[in-house]
Amino acid sequence: MSELLERLKQAVMAGEEEEAASLVREALEGGLEPREIMDKALMPAMEEIGERFSRNEAFIPELIVAASAMEKGMEELKPVLSGEDKGRGLVILGTVYGDIHSIGKNLVRMCLEGAGFEVLDIGEDVRTERFVEAYREHRPDILGLSALLSSTMQRMPEVIQAVRAEDPSAVIMVGGAPVTQEFADRIGASGYAPNAFEAAVKAKELVAGKSR
Amino acid sequence: MVGKERMLTALQRREPDRVPVWEMAFNEESIIKLGAFFTDDLPPMKLVQKMTVEEKIKLLNTLFTVVRELELDGITSITLLGTEPLDEEHVKDGWGRILRISEEGEATAVGGPLSGPSDLRSIEPYHPQQTDFLMLLAAKGALGDDYAQVLVQPGPFRESWSLLGSMEKLLYYYVKAPGFVKDLARLVTDYILEVVDMAVDLGADIIALDGDLAFSQTTLMSPAQYEEYVFPFHCEITEHVHRRGKLIVKHSDGNMWPIMEGIVEAGFDGFHPVQPQCMDIGEVKARYGDRLCILGNIDCMHLLPFGSEEEVEEKVKETIRVAAPGGGYILSSSNSIHPGCRPENYLAMVKAARKYGNYPISVED
Repeated sequence: MSELLERLKQAVMAGEEEEAASLVREALEGGLEPREIMDKALMPAMEEIGERFSRNEAFIPELIVAASAMEKGMEELKPVLSGEDKGRGLVILGTVYGDIHSIGKNLVRMCLEGAGFEVLDIGEDVRTERFVEAYREHRPDILGLSALLSSTMQRMPEVIQAVRAEDPSAVIMVGGAPVTQEFADRIGASGYAPNAFEAAVKAKELVAGKSR
Repeated sequence: MVGKERMLTALQRREPDRVPVWEMAFNEESIIKLGAFFTDDLPPMKLVQKMTVEEKIKLLNTLFTVVRELELDGITSITLLGTEPLDEEHVKDGWGRILRISEEGEATAVGGPLSGPSDLRSIEPYHPQQTDFLMLLAAKGALGDDYAQVLVQPGPFRESWSLLGSMEKLLYYYVKAPGFVKDLARLVTDYILEVVDMAVDLGADIIALDGDLAFSQTTLMSPAQYEEYVFPFHCEITEHVHRRGKLIVKHSDGNMWPIMEGIVEAGFDGFHPVQPQCMDIGEVKARYGDRLCILGNIDCMHLLPFGSEEEVEEKVKETIRVAAPGGGYILSSSNSIHPGCRPENYLAMVKAARKYGNYPISVED
């Protein structure tokens, strides 16, 4: 079985969607638990491609096809995953109002999903009220805010304030090209990461800290 | 020297009389705020897509006033493909692309006429029309021949992904459908060559090939993918521009180091904007200054929006010291003068360029 999981991991890393789906079916038929398939093949595959990406050994196209293969594998798993198994937690992601850039946020989504998070992407150019509504409705473990422009980055403190008025303990991560750790600290964000892969690492730390 | 001569001299990596100052783009709000220093006859503060024809003309005239009053050395025009409004936030252009308009920057494709490899054959190529170049014609008419006329045209990568409505989609096909990626690049390159021809016929001196190929961490594609999917088309475009006796600059934000060699090999005359967060201008000058003119580098992410006028002056001085000696440097912001930039800081930037940018450069460490 470990050989099958290794093949599945390789298929995801290579972005082979059909192969990944078929190997997941094979693993399930062979009696493997869905959780084990995720933990031992799908997530390690995304983690490895993410690490290569953060070392500039893999590029966005490789990350995109791997995420797509992981998604196809997950489609096979979802119907049999137990109701309580919510993975690592729920993250709501969005780019702040005035900013229509999506790729940075989408890379973070792929890395978070690869790390086992459920991600609700509420898109780009998201008004502060919409972040609050989405937070109220879904009570995510983490809210992630993205901005590419130094002008739109200024919206982040407003969103943090509004969401914390709803839930003072809200865990909010910020990121994007102009954002720095210093800026994140100044506006009271719970976490910051300089790239998509490290955002997933940081998110894992934050939910682990929360559950302690 | 007049501005045009200054720009062309710098692009050919020779020393003009002073460092040319040019900007690839100003947003509506920036034009109006800068224009307010020189005239009261301003258009209302709104997005160009929402302006009446009279207001659009007034906006252009305000830009021309700014260029003239600040004695900038060139002016940038964009092609204005006829668009039809879809709703408050979206318009559709001649290719059938759906563009989202934004207060903070240029309109970006969010939906395209293409879904993927299966419908490439059914796409009806758009051919440029003279009316697309109204801004260039107006700039030429208003400013005459003393200013370098720069036309910004998205390159094959950006044109390709915008027809798909998403960059991620194109990058997915980089792995999944290489033949389709090349066919699509062929289709848009043919269009770009038509745009170049028409722009040159109408008076453009320089083409700025837009479309980011990198982000802050690295390039959007691997160097091998750049070489396979973009480089041949870049070569074709630069050769075409040179055959027409004009010069061409590649614009890309982000960390372009992994493919800089390719950009130089492809035959570009200049590279803009050397984003200071990702690339050191001194290093670019040292490695490529003998083959490439450098444009830009004055930080519009933090310095121009939040810095003081003194800090701007200091940075301009330092950048000129590093990049200008020997020629081959054109001063501009590290992307554009967007609404977040303080107009006073832009004025300070131009003023400092005049103070320290006279050849021979004698700025001390």
